[in-house]
Amino acid sequence: MRILTIACSLAALMAASPLAAQTLNVASAGDQNMVDYVKDYLGPMFEKAHPGVKVVSVGTGAGDSGSQKILEKLDAQKSAGASDFDVVVIHQKAAGQMVKDGLLDKYTANVATAKLATGEATRNALGTDVSGYVIPMFQSQTALAYNADMVKSPPSTFAELADWAKKNPKQFGYNGIKGGMSGVSFVAGWVYAFGGDADKLMKGPYDAATKANWDKAFADLKEFNKVATITPGNAGTLDMLNRGEIAIGPVWVDMFYSWQADGKLPPNMKLKLVSPGMPGQPMYYAVAGKSAQKKLAEEFIALATSPQVQADGIVKKFNWYPGIDAANLEGKLDKAAWDKLFTDVTPADLAKNGKVFPIAPYFNDILEGYEKKVSN
Amino acid sequence: MNLSQRHLGLILIAPGLMLVAALFLYPLCFSLISAFSKDGAFTLEWFAKAFELYSTDIVFTVVIVLASCALTGLAAIVIAGTLTLGENRYIVGTLKAIYRWPLFIPFIVAAQCMRTFLAKNGLMNNTFVSMGLMEPLQAMSFLDWRGIIATFVWKQTPFVALLLAGALASIDRATLEAGRNLGASRPRVLFELALPQVMPTLMVALVLSFVTMLSVLSVPMMVSGSQPTMLTVDMAFRINAYGDYATANALGVITYLISAGAAILYLKRGLSEGAPR
Repeated sequence: MRILTIACSLAALMAASPLAAQTLNVASAGDQNMVDYVKDYLGPMFEKAHPGVKVVSVGTGAGDSGSQKILEKLDAQKSAGASDFDVVVIHQKAAGQMVKDGLLDKYTANVATAKLATGEATRNALGTDVSGYVIPMFQSQTALAYNADMVKSPPSTFAELADWAKKNPKQFGYNGIKGGMSGVSFVAGWVYAFGGDADKLMKGPYDAATKANWDKAFADLKEFNKVATITPGNAGTLDMLNRGEIAIGPVWVDMFYSWQADGKLPPNMKLKLVSPGMPGQPMYYAVAGKSAQKKLAEEFIALATSPQVQADGIVKKFNWYPGIDAANLEGKLDKAAWDKLFTDVTPADLAKNGKVFPIAPYFNDILEGYEKKVSN
Repeated sequence: MNLSQRHLGLILIAPGLMLVAALFLYPLCFSLISAFSKDGAFTLEWFAKAFELYSTDIVFTVVIVLASCALTGLAAIVIAGTLTLGENRYIVGTLKAIYRWPLFIPFIVAAQCMRTFLAKNGLMNNTFVSMGLMEPLQAMSFLDWRGIIATFVWKQTPFVALLLAGALASIDRATLEAGRNLGASRPRVLFELALPQVMPTLMVALVLSFVTMLSVLSVPMMVSGSQPTMLTVDMAFRINAYGDYATANALGVITYLISAGAAILYLKRGLSEGAPR
């Protein structure tokens, strides 16, 4: 009898709890650090400001595949009453697709902080117009990391890098295109450098015939691969740099700084953003079109894109470049934290050589061209 | 068996059948249809694409898995043989205590360990260098096809050895002892007397390992770079990078065909000789 009572009260409790508390579901594509960012940092802060609200953070996996999973889930729930996710954190490629498919809510007019982010990324996600649907959470950038003890004068262009790799076989390492985005970014940079009109790849319009111009670039890359080391993944490149097995490799700037702060990379490692440039990308905050908690979701994003949170969380804690315009962070951040982010890659470098990824159809052409002409 | 009992039997297996239908047959049909059709019409376009982009990887996958099976078989024979015929009880006891451990370690954990163990300046090479067995300059990285094979063999050997040791323990020891009495060496007893009696078990264990290794994504992804790589990685990449399920399914069908070869062997053995299934 007592067990029955307990069971009944438990059941009643479970049935009643959704009424008592609101739950905000935040789904993040990306590495574990992004899930932790919401779970350990943003979530508690938001819960404190909104008593009775519970923030649930779920991760859907690293890289574009994580965003793809969110896309599929929202798509599957398109005809359902409400989606499981309220706030989604997604990559550019999927953001464009979701806007086209009508899976996202046009919300930025309701969020005051949207005005603080004015960069190209707030409007254009790999060729798709996303204005009104997204606010960047942060900007990230790839660059070449090198061991300053082993490489005294690092190459400053892709052409110099190719020469350097020939003279120092197996000392350059990257992770191909199937092991994470730092390798993809290197390949995109290679095509920007040797494939002709890079501007057209970043801005469009798309012309299916363009890819024929890349044959030489891919043939050279195939040769280049023979003197390069193929590493297992983004972290694999950093691991090999750490163990001194390779001397140069493309990495994400934020991962680089985090690893260095954790002592997982020697202090003599430095970054170099070679010309004509390598791509970076933002992650976006967006609201699911079928979210039952749109108002709450907007408030959450407003908090997440406020200058103070961007300064403390994004820049200081996680070494990302801020998602809102950097000028808005002035006064919120001490000089040391700011300088640390721009030691090796200066704002001028970033402006000149920090590129975006190619628009989606060219992006796919580059990946498939690589599979066809370089890796098979 | 009367009618009601037959119905009862059907009802009892219905949950199982439904699980198989929902979780295996339905996705199988779905992926077959997706692999062979475009806008509702029959096409081989996806297979053409799969071969155009991944022909190297298909060969690579088959070679890796076959080589791993061969090495796993050898290692398992050595372990099971030692367990059955070994005469030093300390060696047998120690081996018995530790050989099953990899069974309890998931592939992804094994891959993570191998990733730091087999690297150029990883644990293995550093140990050799510090023991003076090797110069630092001779160190080389095994994080490529060799790393994949090493991980697979390490992970699958205990499984095969477990089945094999069980089978060896259950054969009539009189034949083995007769062989020893007549002066045959232990390896000879193992290979000429014991192994032929447990061949079906060994085959079945290897076929199961073959299919398992064919389906592992984490090991090739984590241990080796992506060129060339195994079909599982390519399938994941088709979906993650392009959202292209059709070609991924075509690669899946190719994997089905490869494992079907192994499955035929398995069924033949299983049905004709009544080996453990």
